[in-house]
Amino acid sequence: MTVPLLEVEGLSGAFRSPGGEMTPVLFDVGFALQPGVITAIVGETGSGKSLTALSILGIQPPNFQRSSGRILFEGRDLLALPAEEIRAIRGRRISMVFQDARAALNPVFTVGRQLADVHRLHHGGSAAAAMCRAIEALRSVAIPEPERRARQYPHEFSGGMAQRAMIAMAALVCAPRLVILDEPTTGLDVTIQAAIMELIAELVAERGLTACLITHDLGVVAETCANVVVMQSGRVVEAASTEAIFTRPRHAYTQRLLAASLLEDSAEPVPA
Amino acid sequence: MKRAPFSWSMRIGLGILAVYAAVALLALVWTPHDPLSPGVGDSYLAPSAEFPLGTDRLGSDVLSRLMAGTQYNLGIALVAVSIALAVGSLLGVIAGYYGGPLDIAISRGVEVFQAFPGVLFAMLVAKAVGPGVINIILVLSFVGIPDYVRLARAEVQSRRNWPYAEAARMVGNRSWQVAFRHLLPNSTGPLLAFTSINAAFVSLVTASLGFLGLGLSPNTPEWGNMIARGQDGVMTGEWWVSFFPGLAILGMTGAFYLLGDALSDLTDPRRRR
Amino acid sequence: MLRLLLHRALWALPVALGVVTITFFTARLFGGDPTELYAPPEATDELRAQIREKLGLGDPLLVQYLRYLGEIARFDFGISFTTNQPVGQDLTERLPATLELGLIGLGLGILIGVPLGVIAAVSRERVPDFLVRGITLAGMALPQFWIGLVLIWVFFVILGWLPGPVGRLPIGVPLPEPITGFLLVDLALLRDWEKWRLALLQLVLPAGTLAFAMLAPIARVTRSSMVEALQSDYIRTAVAMGFGRRAIWFRYALRNALLPVVTLVGVLAGYVFGGAVLLESIFGWPGLGQYALQAIESSDFAALQGFVIYAALLYVGTFLLVDMLYILIDPRMRT
Repeated sequence: MTVPLLEVEGLSGAFRSPGGEMTPVLFDVGFALQPGVITAIVGETGSGKSLTALSILGIQPPNFQRSSGRILFEGRDLLALPAEEIRAIRGRRISMVFQDARAALNPVFTVGRQLADVHRLHHGGSAAAAMCRAIEALRSVAIPEPERRARQYPHEFSGGMAQRAMIAMAALVCAPRLVILDEPTTGLDVTIQAAIMELIAELVAERGLTACLITHDLGVVAETCANVVVMQSGRVVEAASTEAIFTRPRHAYTQRLLAASLLEDSAEPVPA
Repeated sequence: MKRAPFSWSMRIGLGILAVYAAVALLALVWTPHDPLSPGVGDSYLAPSAEFPLGTDRLGSDVLSRLMAGTQYNLGIALVAVSIALAVGSLLGVIAGYYGGPLDIAISRGVEVFQAFPGVLFAMLVAKAVGPGVINIILVLSFVGIPDYVRLARAEVQSRRNWPYAEAARMVGNRSWQVAFRHLLPNSTGPLLAFTSINAAFVSLVTASLGFLGLGLSPNTPEWGNMIARGQDGVMTGEWWVSFFPGLAILGMTGAFYLLGDALSDLTDPRRRR
Repeated sequence: MLRLLLHRALWALPVALGVVTITFFTARLFGGDPTELYAPPEATDELRAQIREKLGLGDPLLVQYLRYLGEIARFDFGISFTTNQPVGQDLTERLPATLELGLIGLGLGILIGVPLGVIAAVSRERVPDFLVRGITLAGMALPQFWIGLVLIWVFFVILGWLPGPVGRLPIGVPLPEPITGFLLVDLALLRDWEKWRLALLQLVLPAGTLAFAMLAPIARVTRSSMVEALQSDYIRTAVAMGFGRRAIWFRYALRNALLPVVTLVGVLAGYVFGGAVLLESIFGWPGLGQYALQAIESSDFAALQGFVIYAALLYVGTFLLVDMLYILIDPRMRT
């Protein structure tokens, strides 16, 4: 097995309420992301999968308190890094795509301007050159008429188009080693979901990216992801290759999840 | 972040207002000196043991007048916002629930009145109707009504077609029952929060009118009146006559603002994180 | 976008009409018989009748009202009996003093209030936040005229650093012939720097008082909308993309947080340009507010009506301006 790009080890933590009581939400979470492939983290709402992903970039909610754990990336523990160094990693080495891209883009700047700003942040250069790169990036994620689209504002984009722009920003303009995708297809039409997943798979294959896909939907996992980590109630219950998960799920929860996604996905009744 | 119902700002606000209310009641039966009679001491005595806040130009005791003034300033604010709240919500609920020409008439009226600079309009009407407690209360509540109408209208309109309103209609409630018994109570929070902030504004305008001599009759120990009486003294170094009533206004107005903030924190779901 | 503006401009018309109507009837219903104001106390009944005739007071109220509307449409607000000048001329003469004080006070209020709001928002629930909240609470809870008096007491009476509240120039220094009416601009044009310095010193206390009163609500609204912006998804994106704190606060969050501030500044501007009545009265500032106060004190209803309409129109005008500004800075308004 190759050396993992990122390893989460023994991550535990709790939410602190305003009154000071602690509600534990993560229990000894650990998994590894292999380079060059997509790893899915699957679980239902509240399983702690998004919280884990946000912790990688240090952008977890402020009332989350970690009690133990390490996140190793390129040999360094991200959780132990000073603020300046973790900032240098954000975007440049690890970037992130969020759910609901229309809200995740700034409403008062054009989409092109936002991509260009990020480009200048990481690669420098003139504003005009950065805008050219931004338009190129939009073209690469198959947004039609990228020159015109770049001049539009997020509210003028459809959800699917905005998510493409968001992916262009996080995966192309930033040019990171690892891109974390937090429920990137939730809330989109089914056909658009498929197209977005296809785009993600394509980018990973073509550019040698490593991706971590957070999702509650096993259905989107099967065709694109190499490995799957299943989380439930703040714990990792199973981690294996996608093939292993789909053919020989060991944990009862994984089996239930699988059964549910099969029921949901098939128009015809599944033969017993 | 969820807030406890009794946040600090609410406790402080309510606490201060309770003190003011207590002082207002106390002043009805006892003040150190007679607040209305001049010459209980010499003119412009600096704060001392006998006159803790000094005396004014006419030799009245500033502390006694300050205490006696509480009933005017607090009372006017409370009664004026209550009237404005009642009338404004009534009109607002009617406009918001029934819509149509009634709504247009009410809303347009509100817009017209809001184009008047609030304080100025109060001054104009106060001048026209003349001084007096009742007049001032009516003027101040009148000035506040448009804001309540807007708020109540927006609240009711946004809920008019919600399922529970439909349900209330289906089971045979009359329309006014749906509007006032089922929709209006859901807006109590925002309305009360605004009322508290409006009370702060009303206190300031009361003092402003008093300062201009448009409020109560000149010898009334209303705080704005008192500041006006001390205005000349400020120029010659007798600062205490104007200074202390300002602090009294600060305390009361600040308490209303704190209370209003606490109430809107409680009721505004967007701020309740 | 143009249609929206046109719509708003058309909206302003009935509002203006309503303002004029209400002012007219308030003045007529409560103002008593205007004849008494124009007639000397010893006037004979004959003279009074002549005055009534001249003022058109013999006509039915409705006729008077329509005539009044006609006059207003020609910007004729009648004659003030205290200044014996057309009210329109009075107002135009006094507007620059009010605008000069208002613009400087409001400008300072924005320049100080917005950064204070940002500081409070980014240090939420910590010491700087509590300090700013204390300042803004005081600024909103204190009457402006009292703040003015205390500042006069401290800086003029006790310290003697700044001149007393006697208007735009010290007593005995004549005002120059107005060019723009803005004293600081006029004196700069005349290159009279000594007087310019005096005028600036006269302005410090009233402008400071106004700025304190303005910065309080501005800082408050900036704080709360900034807090909201900082919790938004798009700011989380900016953090995840690796932007530094300063870029995030000032470039991404503030731009969004300023939208409600613009609306607020519009409201404040409408209020200030209409003459901060009490402030002008405290500082002897010869602007619209003082004029209105004199009109109220002497029951000069022509002047008062003219002023209220003027102020209301300024208010409506400012709001139109704010709408335009809003469309410029919020792209969501354009479609």
